[in-house]
Parts: sequence; structure tokens; C-alpha cells
Amino acid sequence: MITRDRNWLLIFAVCVALAGVYPLFADGHQLTVIRDALIFGLFAASLDFFWGRTGILCFGHAAFFGIGGYIMALVTLNDAIPFGSLLGIIGAVAGAAFVAAIIGYFLFFGGIRGSYFTIVTLAMGVICQQAAVSWSSVTGGDSGLIGIPPIEFDVGGTHVDLSQDLPSYIFVAAIVSVVVLALWSISRGRWGTVLTAIQDNEIRAAALGHNAPLRLLVTFTLSAAIAGLAGALYVCMAGLVAPDLSGLLLSTEVIVWVAVGGRGTLLGPVLGAIFIQRAQQTISSFNPSLWPLLLGCVFVIIVFVLPDGILSIYARLKSLFKSRRRAQ
Amino acid sequence: MSDVLLQAKNVGIRFGGLQALEALDLTVHDKELCCIIGPNGAGKSTFLNVLTGTLRPTSGSVRFLGRDIAGLPLHRIARLGIARKFQIPSVFSSLSVEDNLKVARWGVPSPARPVGELLELVALTNRAATLAGELAHGQKQWLEIGMALAIEPRLLLLDEPTAGMTPQETLATAEMLLRLKGEFSIVAVEHDIRFVRALNCETLVLHQGRRLRSGPFHDIEADEMVRDVYLGRR
Repeated sequence: MITRDRNWLLIFAVCVALAGVYPLFADGHQLTVIRDALIFGLFAASLDFFWGRTGILCFGHAAFFGIGGYIMALVTLNDAIPFGSLLGIIGAVAGAAFVAAIIGYFLFFGGIRGSYFTIVTLAMGVICQQAAVSWSSVTGGDSGLIGIPPIEFDVGGTHVDLSQDLPSYIFVAAIVSVVVLALWSISRGRWGTVLTAIQDNEIRAAALGHNAPLRLLVTFTLSAAIAGLAGALYVCMAGLVAPDLSGLLLSTEVIVWVAVGGRGTLLGPVLGAIFIQRAQQTISSFNPSLWPLLLGCVFVIIVFVLPDGILSIYARLKSLFKSRRRAQ
Repeated sequence: MSDVLLQAKNVGIRFGGLQALEALDLTVHDKELCCIIGPNGAGKSTFLNVLTGTLRPTSGSVRFLGRDIAGLPLHRIARLGIARKFQIPSVFSSLSVEDNLKVARWGVPSPARPVGELLELVALTNRAATLAGELAHGQKQWLEIGMALAIEPRLLLLDEPTAGMTPQETLATAEMLLRLKGEFSIVAVEHDIRFVRALNCETLVLHQGRRLRSGPFHDIEADEMVRDVYLGRR
């Protein structure tokens, strides 16, 4: 357990260091590509925080990403609201958490688990996307909202303006690092251990005095809040928000990122998101219709062959060699 | 009496057309040990489920420290001081033995017994780092008893604690319970007569959902009717 923690911290430190020196070798365009990939990585980590520890799959996580994005857009586009960026982020996080808390309350305390939870959240994602399309007076309908200003705020007298590539990259990289580290420390300690226990045997955990539905609800709400934060960051960087951001395709993609990167590792999903988006850009440049097909195939292969993600290949090889050596 | 911990009065439960339990009474005093025995299908586990509040009786009531516990959420019942060991060993298989006990301790606000002592009690000190899923069957049963102890219960309910154990393990379990007697009340539902004999306590015999006999075990054991029921002669 202790060596596993140390390994995780080591890999985390290497990743942060790589992210830190990357601007020295990259031009502005490459920086923005990685920056956006990191935001989606944060989104993937938020799903992993819930799915990885509870074993319950949310198939509509993009709904929270989209809610965060729309709230951020509406707040920053309204000139009457002061401190738009800051209030927007707070609103995005709180809004996503609020929706998750309401939906989660009825699901968790109503005893909805497993595939049923997945199906209900799938419907939730579709409803959110439909609402974004139909409520056009607020959301801008199919075309969404454009012209969302970049994040800017004052810290101790210094004005921070994230309209440039480098500052925005550093800002995003710092937030992702801090949040992933925070989520990791929550999930490895007492909170995460009890969640694992609930995943193993919820009735047993309850019979020991643990309020399992409440714990699942809080975890789900926190996960949604982080997804909302990711959505808010994304729309400011991209400058636009559209119904796709809460759609089924993004919900599926984020599951693939987590599955590829390794469920329950928090860092793996971030890497998975970056890696797959790079692959997507490369492959789409040959033929745009090839990507969804490949994505589906990768998903099926991961589920059947490598349910613990690509990182598990190493562990598997290691145990294979061990058993070989024992056999000799 | 003032030291009554759990009182079941006139408990009956009906599943559709089946009267599973009928007119059962049970009083458990503080720090008392008692057993519920009976042949298969006598309603032992059902009765235990009613006693823990997981099943709501169709008639009668179950009161713990004077409070009706039927239908309370499981974690609330646990926090009132009722611990339970399930019939099928239910440990958290993907956690280590030590983490299993830790999770159990975290269930209550201020657990008194340290993990090390719990490990010793259930003889698993040298398996502390083992994943609970890899334990032998008997060890899983013991670990689950250890988890039940961790929440500092006033009352410990055991559903067939020795199911699947070897005769030696069964006797060791009985010894462990006798050591713990005096700290809190224990109600054990059992099938294994050797185990109940080793405990030698107040015993309630169920047959087809009704009380057949109750009293000290040595009286019960001598009872002709109980023997007939156990041997399937009635």
C-alpha cells in the first residue's frame, strides 16, 4: 500500500514536471491543444473519482460539464455582473453540484444502483442536451453562445489575464494538478476506503453504521462539481458553448478516456484523455468519419481485454513473468 | 425489569399465504447470552431479521432500549448499538483484513477497542495485511465477528456463526463468545447443537415459526419433543 502511494506520487511528480517544461518546447498552438486536452483530462478525473471508487458508472457525466459551461457563459456574457470570471466559476461548480445532489438524492436513497443508475444518468444526459437545444432564448439553441471572454481576475493587486496562450496553459495545468492531487488524497484515505467497502458489500457497510447512500451522494456531487469546473474552464478557453458539450458523445468519450487510462487511478484518466485526443486529431485528419468507428472498437477491446486500462498491461506482464519464473 | 435490552412481543410475520412466524416473544437482558435453535425452515433467520429491524413484523413489536426499531435504516440501527453477523460471510473482499476492521470502527463515532486488539481477539494478527477475499472460510467468519465487535455493540446478533466451520473452529468460536459474554448481550441463531451445548445458555427452540420450548440448554437437550423435532420425527 505504501509503495503504491509512493509510486503514484512519483508518476504524478513526473507528469507535473513534464507539464511544467512543456512550454519551453512548444509553440502557442501546441500549448492550446494540450491545455484543452488537460481540461478534458480534469473532466475524466472527475468521472474517475466517482466511478473508480464506487464502481457505479455515470453515463451522463457530460451533463455536468455542459451545465458548468452554460452557467459560466451566461454569467460572463452578462455585463451587469461584476467579477464575471470568478462568479462564473463559482456558479458553474455550484450549479453542477446542485443538479447532481438533487438527482443523486432520489437515485441513491431510492436504492438505484448498478446498471439502473447508468441508464437513468444516460437519460439525464440526453435531457440536458435537449434542454440546451430547445431553450434557445437562454442557451442560444443549436448554435450555442459565442464570444465568451477569457478568464480574468485580480489577485492581491495583480491583474491576471488568461487571454494569452502561455498564461492560460499554466493556469489550467496548475488547477488540474491541484485538483487531481486533492481528489487522490481524498480517495486514498478513510473516505475512499469506506467507498471501496460500500462497493464490495453495501449492506454490510450499512450494518456497521455507515450511511452508504449519503456517502455515495456526497461523492457523486463532488464529482459533478469538478466536472462543472472543467466545463467552465473549457468554454472560456474555447470562447463558445454548444449543446454538444453536454451530449451523449462527450459522455461516451469521457468513459473511454477513463477506461483507457485505468479506472481508479485518477492520473491515468488525465493521460488517457490527452493521449486519445491526440490520436483523434491525427486520425481525423486522414478521414473524419473514421474516428467514431475506431473509438467504438477501442472501447469494446478495453472492456473485454483490458478492463483495468492500458496501464494494467505492465502489471499483467509482471505477474506473467513471475508465474513463468515460478514454473521453471 | 430495568436491564431489558431487547424485547420482542407477540411477533408474527406473514409472507403472502405463509405464516413464517407466529406469536414469538423474546426478552434479552443486558449482558445476557442466548441462542435460538431449530431445524431448517423453522424461521430462525427470519426472526433474526425482525430483531435487527430489517424485516417489519406484520404483528407485534420489537423494542430496543424501549424504542421501536422496525423499518429504521440499517446504519441507524447499527449506531443504536446492534451489531450483526450475516449468515453468508460478508467481508469486504477487496480490502485487507486490517482495513476491514478499520472500516468497521469508522462506523461509530468513538470506537474504544484498537484495531490491534480486535485482530488478536479473532486470531488474525498475522493475517492483517491479507486481502479479506483470500482468507479461508472460517477466518472470514471470524473476521466478520471482529467487525461486529469493532462497533462497540450493546447487542450482537449472530446468524449461524459457525456455518461451514470445522468442529475445532466451532468450539473455538464458542470459547471466544464465552469470553466476550459480560461485555454485551449476544443472541446467536444456530443449527449446530455442539456449538449451543458449548455455550450452554438460555435457548429458544423454534419449530415451524412457533416457539416450541424455551429455557436453559440442559433442560432443552433432555426434552423428548425437541429431540423428535431435530431428528425429523415430527
